[in-house]
Amino acid sequence: MTLTRQAIVDHLIDIAGQDRVITDEQVLKENSHDRYKKLETIFGIYTTPIPAAVVKLADTKQVSDVLKFLNENKVNSVARTGGTATEGGLETIVENSVVLDGSQMNQIIKIDSTNMQATAQCGVNLGELEDRLREQGFTTGHSPQSKPLANMGGLVATRSIGQFSTLYGGIEDMVIGLEAVFPNGEITRIKNVPRRACGPDIRHVIIGNEGALCYITEVTVKIYKYFPENNQFLAWALDDMSLGFKILREVMVEGYRPSVARLYDAEDGSQHSFDQFAADKCVLMFMAEGNEYLANATARGIARVVEKYEECQPIDGRLIENWFDNLNWGPEKIAQERELIRKTQHMAYTTEVSGNWDCINTIYENAIKRIREQYPHMDDLTMLGGHSSHSYQTGTNLYFVYDYDVKDCKPEEEINKYHIALNALIVEETLKAGGSMVHHHGIGKYRTPWTRQEHGSAYYILKGLKDQYDPNGIMNTGTIYPVE
Amino acid sequence: MMKIAVCFKIIADYDRMSPKDWAWDEHHIVDTRFVRRIFNCFEESALEMALKLSRPVENPSDKAELTALTIDDEKGDLFLKHLIAVGYDHGVRICCSRELDLRFNPMGISRLISAYIRQMGQTLVILGMQGGEGDNGQTGFLVAEQLGWPCVREVTEAIRTESPEFLKVTSRIDGASLVQIIKLPMVLIIGHSQESPYLRIPNLKQKLDAKKKQVTLLSEHELKVNNKIWFNTDKTLIDLQRQKTNQSCIFLEGKTARDQAQQLYNQYLKKRLPT
Repeated sequence: MTLTRQAIVDHLIDIAGQDRVITDEQVLKENSHDRYKKLETIFGIYTTPIPAAVVKLADTKQVSDVLKFLNENKVNSVARTGGTATEGGLETIVENSVVLDGSQMNQIIKIDSTNMQATAQCGVNLGELEDRLREQGFTTGHSPQSKPLANMGGLVATRSIGQFSTLYGGIEDMVIGLEAVFPNGEITRIKNVPRRACGPDIRHVIIGNEGALCYITEVTVKIYKYFPENNQFLAWALDDMSLGFKILREVMVEGYRPSVARLYDAEDGSQHSFDQFAADKCVLMFMAEGNEYLANATARGIARVVEKYEECQPIDGRLIENWFDNLNWGPEKIAQERELIRKTQHMAYTTEVSGNWDCINTIYENAIKRIREQYPHMDDLTMLGGHSSHSYQTGTNLYFVYDYDVKDCKPEEEINKYHIALNALIVEETLKAGGSMVHHHGIGKYRTPWTRQEHGSAYYILKGLKDQYDPNGIMNTGTIYPVE
Repeated sequence: MMKIAVCFKIIADYDRMSPKDWAWDEHHIVDTRFVRRIFNCFEESALEMALKLSRPVENPSDKAELTALTIDDEKGDLFLKHLIAVGYDHGVRICCSRELDLRFNPMGISRLISAYIRQMGQTLVILGMQGGEGDNGQTGFLVAEQLGWPCVREVTEAIRTESPEFLKVTSRIDGASLVQIIKLPMVLIIGHSQESPYLRIPNLKQKLDAKKKQVTLLSEHELKVNNKIWFNTDKTLIDLQRQKTNQSCIFLEGKTARDQAQQLYNQYLKKRLPT
């Protein structure tokens, strides 16, 4: 029998205690969404069902007890820590869902400078962990724009990536071991070893599961020595993206590993004020870091690659350094953005995809062309462009960026009229060209129409995980897996 | 037709400068070349306010002629093109000889502005109340004085009246709002606008169209403000010092947010609340 909303709350209080079960209406509303539906929530409109409760989890045992209860009673759960998700993954689309908030599981358990690893609970803020590490001369190497707000559990759950990924990799390259709880209450720990060949790498069942398979309670990541004094910024202006992709590829294939390797088109660059020093040009930039020998060699090597191309005009690295130092999104920027949206109804969204070197420019050109030709509300767009910000030996990502003035629609209609429609065109063009529809935000709840197409025949494996670990379908319904 | 000129300044985004960036050379020039430039905040409000004033919603065909005016080097053109894209009819840049140091020179700047206003027969001048550099707060008053026009400071709103010769101007004075009906011509100095302080953003088509349009360039000679004495000030820049803005802070102890909130209340808020 389905439990009533009140019965769910009563049982949760029995398990976690009154103080940890929040039913305040405003808190519930704020926990019914993430940063996907910005406009409607700014205007106080909540179109998704409001959860029955938010549980402020205390420890792994409590996570296990709560999940077991929810599983036995088929109550949907939504895992949450920092709340910075951008793809609707935190939306509570099922009536009487329970939000499992791990933000109070916020202890840094160990910094192990011998084995170069740090262990943190899921609710540890990445910025705080970084600050602690940097005091000791270390870094995780992970630096997404959401660093001031995002917590370790959410970062791992969404396969997050940071701004220094070209050197340090994505979060999946950093995680050594994990603790996670499955819906039946099973607590699992994957031990921290440098590598092993003991069957498939089961870390990857957990990393990127977006709360759809299990709840991440603890994470161990690699740490690195931190040498900010050796950072070197290099940048060039150039005429077109295809040349930029070609140079990015050459830098990667030659074996250089700058921490930052980015390529902006002129339109996207202009919203970062790059047009003040590179009007109507693309901007290619790098940051070399590490100990002085590595940083110097990386910077010199990259300069040698780029300077072969006469079309590339050098840009003062200090311009890029100053811009980069102000790139992160803390609470103050989120508040500013909300205020700006409230006053101007001007929105900005992104869709991030990836592709191999042989198709990335096709994805870029086709997606932009298709939007320009087919999107019916082009007159409302104030910006349409893109950049690459994470490169690999085999390819790179593309971050499509589009801004628009919301016109002639209610706040709750905005997301369908603009973001969902634009996102669909980009995803379709990416999949058509052989790329991946999501590079690092996670599938969330709004790219699930393409999950099967993304994975093709391998969807069998993905589906098998859900069937095995969440047979009752209580883990973040509608995320990753399309609702049947 | 009402002819509106909005005078604006582009400044470095000082919020993006770290303490180490605040260094200056022997001419007391802080190197901000590596910092992005932005509209001075009061003038961003002024620019948006003028757009609304020039295109009244109730009667869109009753347009005023809008000019954006700045004194800058060629970097100012990007901002003027932006303004043309959002609806300004003209973008004008006064480009002075390099030997003129206008950084702390409201007298020189106001002479250039008022010369342009006279030459072009403008009927309304709108400026921000302070620039990010110098912060002298004098330019608007000096422009009004040189033109012999009435001037209202701390303006928060300006709207049309039934008569094309008058504007209804709201300003702040001693913490209260003052609403006046004033006959053109006049100078308005914008403080904290009641309207959106943000300048609208052009769409893609508007941006493309604006790229094809020209910015008007003028020199101090063309404005006949070429007597160096007019640029002399009674101030000599002797030194620059960075204001220290350190604030003390106390960390609240307590295991939970509830404990910390309780401490905040007991130790700091309780005594400030009215009994």
